[in-house]
Amino acid sequence: MRKLWLIWKREYLARVRTKAFVISTVMLPLLFVGIIGVMVVLGGRQQGRTPRIAIADWTGTLAPAIRAHLRPRTPESKPVCEIAKTLEGSSLGTDVESEMRAEVREGRLEGFLIVPNNALNGGAAEFHTLNAGDFSLTSSIHQAVNEAVVENRLAQRGIRVQDFNEIMRDVDLKLVRITARGESEEKGQTFIAAAIMAAILYTTLLMYGVFTMRSVLEEKTTRVMEILVSSARPSQILAGKILALASVAFTQYLIWTLSASLFTAYSRVIMASVDATRKIPPIQIPASTLAFLVVFFLTGYLLYASMYAAVGAMVSSEEDAQQLQWPVTLPLIISVMLFNVVVQNPNSNLSVALSMVPFFSPVLMVFRIALQTPPLWQILLSLAILAATAAGIIYGSAKIYRVGILMYGKRPSLMEVFRWLRYT
Amino acid sequence: MDAVRLEAVTKRFNTLTAVEKLSFSIPEGKVFGLLGPNGAGKTTTLRMLMRVLIPDEGSIEVLGTPADDRTPDAIGYLPEERGLYPRMKIREVLVFLAALKGLTEAEADRGARQWLERLELGEWVNKKINDLSKGMQQKVQFIAAVLHRPPILILDEPFTGLDPVNAGVIKDIMLELRDQGSTIILSTHRMEQVEMMCDSICLIDHGRPILAGELKAIKRSFGKNTVRIEYTGNGQFLDLPHVVERLNRHGAAVDVKLRPGANAQEILKAAVADGVEITRFELVEPPLNDIFIEKVSSTNA
Repeated sequence: MRKLWLIWKREYLARVRTKAFVISTVMLPLLFVGIIGVMVVLGGRQQGRTPRIAIADWTGTLAPAIRAHLRPRTPESKPVCEIAKTLEGSSLGTDVESEMRAEVREGRLEGFLIVPNNALNGGAAEFHTLNAGDFSLTSSIHQAVNEAVVENRLAQRGIRVQDFNEIMRDVDLKLVRITARGESEEKGQTFIAAAIMAAILYTTLLMYGVFTMRSVLEEKTTRVMEILVSSARPSQILAGKILALASVAFTQYLIWTLSASLFTAYSRVIMASVDATRKIPPIQIPASTLAFLVVFFLTGYLLYASMYAAVGAMVSSEEDAQQLQWPVTLPLIISVMLFNVVVQNPNSNLSVALSMVPFFSPVLMVFRIALQTPPLWQILLSLAILAATAAGIIYGSAKIYRVGILMYGKRPSLMEVFRWLRYT
Repeated sequence: MDAVRLEAVTKRFNTLTAVEKLSFSIPEGKVFGLLGPNGAGKTTTLRMLMRVLIPDEGSIEVLGTPADDRTPDAIGYLPEERGLYPRMKIREVLVFLAALKGLTEAEADRGARQWLERLELGEWVNKKINDLSKGMQQKVQFIAAVLHRPPILILDEPFTGLDPVNAGVIKDIMLELRDQGSTIILSTHRMEQVEMMCDSICLIDHGRPILAGELKAIKRSFGKNTVRIEYTGNGQFLDLPHVVERLNRHGAAVDVKLRPGANAQEILKAAVADGVEITRFELVEPPLNDIFIEKVSSTNA
């Protein structure tokens, strides 16, 4: 037990101290939060300087309406832009455009809007600017012109704007999700949460499986194994390593979960400051789903990591490992490709059957649980099958590992590996 | 008491019998040489001693008790294929390996510093293994084998890669540990090292012992059938096929193995006739090197 602990500790510390771990665990969320923050700050530039634009209206009728629509809706929110000057009338000269272009070049204007004669009959308005990427400005202008034109057309036909809005009002389709705990409004957050969880499972199973393989292979190629096997039993070395990597995975999960909740709180604050009217329904993941996520990850990880460890023990070089890891990685990839089948009907016979297959269940059963909680007996049956398979695979892998770690040179044939299983 | 005792130990891998009915015993506090050509079964034997492999037949006793899972803790091992975690610090590697063998981390840390100091690696204690030269890594690995003060020490080619000064230091430490009561199993192809250090040997080939016992007795049993000669002048006088069975030159001296019943004086006569000046002429026991070659080639014939 003491040896297992020592091996666990060495492996865990060695992993956690690597640059790769620090970068992927700590830097990634920080970077993510940082990028969002920078985007918000840059996007909220109007808080600093309000862009000045000019309007040249050849119709001579639309300019006041456009100006009105560009004014802030509520007194406290910032204006989208400031209208420096307005030129209206059908008698405008052709040199107006080039004059204003010069002003834009000199930096006195952000841009200018041209409303052509035929704007009311379908002619396109033009907005000339150096910075065509300022999406919030251009979309506001587009909307303002649009509304001004529509109002004008309505007025010509004698229809009041309020009546029109009344007639054209949308009907909402609310998605209501039926769950065991009652009903909750659905705006896609369930699917997103399920997909994120399944993706995390897939990624970590693959990543930490490959880490396990690499770690075994490294002890082989550096020949540390020679001295290690004289100090601890192969089963202790293997168990210590697999548990250490599982702990590293949980450390990473923990840091990510913490930073995700911090990030959520942070983004709420940012969102509120930018646009109080937009509401995103919070993603709520029930505690039971999280518990299943952990249990399925752990069991699935034991299954895959022991197979990857066996691969690492079988080979003596990175190249051979690349080739031989394929059969182990394949079921993981297939389980992700089966997402589509499950999402269409999480409770179809096919979905139920697929989530029972031990090599798929770590990803697919969790996906199902998150989408539409299946009956408890299905979850437990799937877990039992997975655990039994994992136990068998661990037993075989440990045997392969025991023999393989001291074999160097040529990659063993499948027949040889089967023979290893029979060694005492 | 015997430190190690093997009784008719056999280990098979499928159709290959790596070790067959191997028996030997090593008295406590002695240096034992495990010899044999490549692929003779030396590594398999050592791995069975450390319980990495379990014998199919026969029994192994270590320090008077049948070998079990605790046996490896009593053994320090310097494998032939050296290697330590390249990205770990020297101190961490040594403490980890010694703790696995049962030392507390504080004990291991203190011991590691003392050993590193003694082998002139004191300033490197917090450097990574990667930063060390081959020779330094070699010394660190030696420390890893002895740090937990094992009663039994298995050293596989302990001197390869070491300069003469460091090799001398390691040799002195080995003899010192022996004097303190440690039993040392030395596995090497360098026969002069065996002659210098071993009290007894076991020569195995194809997994079977072909020669075992005290080194002195073995050499005596081969008789004084070798003449060590040093001379100045033309070596043609040694061209005496009816007297000389084999010549073995090393440095200034040449070892002449005599044919059975041949008279060594005939060589002297030939030298005098050729006018060669003989500076050394000594009847000696055959070098272990010759015994090794003779035994191994006769079993393979």
